[in-house]
Amino acid sequence: MIKKIVFFTFAVSFAGVCYGQAAEHPGKEYILKNGYQGPKTCEVCHPGKAKEFIGTVHWTHASKVDNVDNVKPNEVYGMKNRNYTMCNGNDIVNNLKEVPANDKGKTKFSGCNSCHPGDHASDVGSTGPAAEAAIDCLLCHSVKYDFSKRKPMKRNDGVVIIGQDRSVEAAANLGRPSNKTCMTCHEAAGGGVYVKRGFEMTAAADAHAAKKMVCIDCHVVKNHRIPTGFDPNNWAHDGLRLSCVGSCHTEKPHKDAQIDNHSSKIACQTCHIPKTGGATAKDFTVWTKLDNGFYEPSTLKKEVNETTPIYAWYNQTVANRPDFIGPKGSRIDGKSKIYPFKVFQGKAYYNKKTGELLSMDFAPPSSTGDTLAGVASAAKILGIKEYEPVPGWQTIYFSSNHQVAPKKRALSCANCHAPNGILNFKELGYSNEEIKNLTNPELYFQRLLKKQIEEE
Amino acid sequence: MKRVLSGVLVAAFMLVSVVMFSQTAQADEGKIVGTISKLVISADKKSATVVLKDIKSGEDLTVLITDDLTLDKFNDKRIVEGDEIRCKYEKDGGKNSSKMFKKTAGC
Repeated sequence: MIKKIVFFTFAVSFAGVCYGQAAEHPGKEYILKNGYQGPKTCEVCHPGKAKEFIGTVHWTHASKVDNVDNVKPNEVYGMKNRNYTMCNGNDIVNNLKEVPANDKGKTKFSGCNSCHPGDHASDVGSTGPAAEAAIDCLLCHSVKYDFSKRKPMKRNDGVVIIGQDRSVEAAANLGRPSNKTCMTCHEAAGGGVYVKRGFEMTAAADAHAAKKMVCIDCHVVKNHRIPTGFDPNNWAHDGLRLSCVGSCHTEKPHKDAQIDNHSSKIACQTCHIPKTGGATAKDFTVWTKLDNGFYEPSTLKKEVNETTPIYAWYNQTVANRPDFIGPKGSRIDGKSKIYPFKVFQGKAYYNKKTGELLSMDFAPPSSTGDTLAGVASAAKILGIKEYEPVPGWQTIYFSSNHQVAPKKRALSCANCHAPNGILNFKELGYSNEEIKNLTNPELYFQRLLKKQIEEE
Repeated sequence: MKRVLSGVLVAAFMLVSVVMFSQTAQADEGKIVGTISKLVISADKKSATVVLKDIKSGEDLTVLITDDLTLDKFNDKRIVEGDEIRCKYEKDGGKNSSKMFKKTAGC
């Protein structure tokens, strides 16, 4: 009885808290009375949060990296300074700027850091009072943010800034960040909607979203730090890591021991994320002219759920070479599991003198298509004097960690164990004899027959 | 001779049918890259009518939007008049119903 009372009291209190959070931010009255002056207003009740935020990857766009080959342990890496063939540039060479006019006389603002949650005058990695005052808190915390105000423009002194919605209307209507909050920036990476990551967080596409879960239900934020997984392509992190197994799922989540036995060697994503999408290849050396007169990197695109992954052993350490960025691991290292990856291939210019991939400033080729002018501009920004550009390809593996399929669309036994299954056992390191056993119908025939009869 | 003639006629009929069918199928779908010149959200917020000015031809095309994801982007002004859009649509009872509606811009 006592247990029941305690449970009931807890449930009512919890529901009350949730309702309270959804209904009204306790500071609403203060904001309506005093107006909204950016982070200064937030800090009245949340002191220290601005300083805390500018130490996170959302602001710095970089962090130290300890699981990737050929990086320096004391330096930071990320969108701020990395160069690879999904983007072929970074916040430094592609700092937000006005692109020169094209042959139709049109210009536009473009840059990697156009999603940075500052005002661009205080930019990636900036610190101090001006940086703290420039944080666009409402971008993530308001449910009535007017995104039309968040666009690049030139200040009277010529400095390019990004507008913010600091209206009382936006500030007085705060709420828990939703999928939309995250996807506003993250879906547009790589040159357009669903180009880089190729997944959408909708009920139709993702089993978690179908249960009305939002990004931060898994990426549980701690002091503005966002836990992330171990995508070989995504290096910068806030020091918090995330995996399916832990707070949400156990190592043995199925009601079937035979399936549970797979989890020691097969990552959850392998069966539960059978498809992904987005760009599969790009050519940065020859850009395509668009009808609006601008050029863009020539890109092979797929819609969400149109790309079939490749499968590889991954121990969460990353091979990083000019021609390849991808998973390291093997079936015998005791740490690896088989994971799904989207394979992306990008062509860009390499420096013949060093073998290193050269960056490109997108402003020149955006307006004229002259990609070598983009390389020259980036080299000038970076202080590279000796270079000889030659085209070359790089392969990158992107982890498939989102767009979890509903149970019905998850992979079943025969998807891997039939002779024409999706796993290339030979490539994965199995002998011919082992492959013969792994593709023996005895493994799955009765189980699938039973299922078939149940469904008929 | 009759056999040959009827064979030819059957083949010709099949060819015409295939051509007509594929033309119908093609006519039912379209794509456009255009700038939003007008955006009107319905009173119940369950649909929106958008006029896209074709970047190539300069002609206007009216498209009906009903998917929640895009409607939400209209409501909070993530997509506004003046934005350049890549759209795929289906001709549906005299209306052009959007099947894909994305901003061309990215980072």
